[in-house]
Amino acid sequence: MIVARSPVFQLGVQSASPLAVIVGVYLLFAGHNNPGGGFAAGLVLGAVVTLRTVAGLQRPVYGPTLITGGTLLVVAVAAAPLLWGDPLLDQKVVSVDAPVLGTIKTGSALPFDIGVTAIVVGLVIALLDGLSTSEALVPDRGSPSPHRSSS
Amino acid sequence: MSTLIAATILTPLVSAVLGLAARTRTRARDAATLVGLGTAAAASLMLLVRVSTEGTHVVRVGGWHPELGIVLVADLFAALVLPVALTIIFVVELFAIGQRRTAWGANPELAGPLLGVMTAGVSLAMLTGDLFTLFVAFELILVSSYVLLTHQGRRAQIRAGMSYVAMNLLASTLFLFGLAFIYAATGTVNLALLTERIPELSEGVRLGIGAWFFVVFGTKAAVFPLFSWLPDAYPTAPTTITAVFAGLLTKIGIYAMIRFHTLTGMDRLGSVMLIVAGVTMVVGALGALAQSDVKRILSFHIISQIGYMLMGLGLFSAAGTAGAILFLVHHMPVKTVLFLVGGLIENDQGTGSLDRSGGMAARRPLIAALFAIPALSLAGLPPFSGFVAKFAVISAGIEAASIPIVVAALAAGALTLLSMAKIWIGVFWGSSPDASDGRETAPGNRRTMLAATGLAVAGTLTISLFAGTLFDLSLRASDDLRAPDSYRSAVLS
Repeated sequence: MIVARSPVFQLGVQSASPLAVIVGVYLLFAGHNNPGGGFAAGLVLGAVVTLRTVAGLQRPVYGPTLITGGTLLVVAVAAAPLLWGDPLLDQKVVSVDAPVLGTIKTGSALPFDIGVTAIVVGLVIALLDGLSTSEALVPDRGSPSPHRSSS
Repeated sequence: MSTLIAATILTPLVSAVLGLAARTRTRARDAATLVGLGTAAAASLMLLVRVSTEGTHVVRVGGWHPELGIVLVADLFAALVLPVALTIIFVVELFAIGQRRTAWGANPELAGPLLGVMTAGVSLAMLTGDLFTLFVAFELILVSSYVLLTHQGRRAQIRAGMSYVAMNLLASTLFLFGLAFIYAATGTVNLALLTERIPELSEGVRLGIGAWFFVVFGTKAAVFPLFSWLPDAYPTAPTTITAVFAGLLTKIGIYAMIRFHTLTGMDRLGSVMLIVAGVTMVVGALGALAQSDVKRILSFHIISQIGYMLMGLGLFSAAGTAGAILFLVHHMPVKTVLFLVGGLIENDQGTGSLDRSGGMAARRPLIAALFAIPALSLAGLPPFSGFVAKFAVISAGIEAASIPIVVAALAAGALTLLSMAKIWIGVFWGSSPDASDGRETAPGNRRTMLAATGLAVAGTLTISLFAGTLFDLSLRASDDLRAPDSYRSAVLS
């Protein structure tokens, strides 16, 4: 493990991760009209998770839950307009005038993007979990393969 | 109707993630996947009924105009093929649940959810109205197929998986290049707009695009020079997975080819397609004869049969395209059933090798019957669906006076019958081999597996029963494809 060799790395990742999370959240909200979006946010947050794993720091562990929740959210937002006769994936845009923040324009695209972010982060976590278990390395279990004899 | 279209894509996806979340809670997982796949299949059947009476239905995703956004188009061709495909996946999932996790069976924790993802991809590939979404759907199918093919991690699977992944990545890259060409030449990837703009291009560019996509879809469909990955990869996967792959994956390539090349009027490529089709049929059938393993013989048949569909398409006549569509509808369930029976044989004998098995006709007459019906159908004997489909394609060939291809088709049919006889003699006749050479037979839940296979055989018999109706529908679908005005006006207006 890299931690044993480099406390600098561990400290660096630890202090950088809140900032990276802020960047990820910014991308999530910026994606509505500017470069960014749920997928980009998910990648940044996924990078944080990956770095924290390599550095041996605490990280979220519920990959499949995130994937499931994210997909359900995405499908719900995609299919909801069908209920009141609008086309699939139609979106509602809401504008609010908030006191300090000024005009906030958001809509049903936001939960959709959050769902996408959850899927991406969930996949990264599941991938890391998959790489860290030894199941993938189990050799042939002596089970019959139709081509064992010929190959 | 929009809800039905959405249901065919979204419910398998939802059932996939629910199945994933259920993980080892077997009952919940099986229920989630079966309900999801069953709902999708039912929705697609209702879609067929609605589309055949009310005509093409178009969903504009997000309400965007087709110039800007994505459209899903349920025309008769899509509505006809989709229920067959989705029912197959449902039956195979049923079989997989019966087979459980055995040496021959796929890991149900993965197979159920991934089949759901693949189903969503299949629905999307058939319903999409633009080429880029088709690309995305292909990737969705492929990504799940990579895992399904290799998840057991055996050496043969990994080795075959390497060439499978490499070949498909190559095809996907070529697909992307082709999309760029089309976009550069016409400024759109929407099929409805392309039906208008591609015929306006100069002859060279038009045929270049047609030939490029013939290679792309041809690689997916495993036509003659591009098939080498298939007989290597398919037999190594667990039976259930091979059954789905055999029934669906190459057929999606043919489906895309029929849709793209007829809608854009690539009649000039017909002669090339016919030559490729003829060679594909004969090489596939000859390859099958040389094998000595049930699944390998059946894998070579897939290639040979692809030739017939390509022949129907290559004739570029109304009857030819209709024959290709009917062949597609007949072939998908028959091929899947044969692989499922192959799975039953392996489960029972502990091997799929012809030399080491025998005598199953006496010990397991039901399995023998379940094999005989689709095998005769595949070889094209009356009264089964294969006869009707082959007759449609070959009579279209005679109508077009393309005698060499008709001869090739008939010869390939005879060779197919011969290799089916080889399986029959090897597996079902003769004396039972000694069971004492350390082979692992895996009982699983035989009743569920037999029920699933029986259901699928019943499905193929239903297809032969309604062959007349189906041929009429195929004719209407092929007329729609060949006169793209109706498709265009349905999508754009």
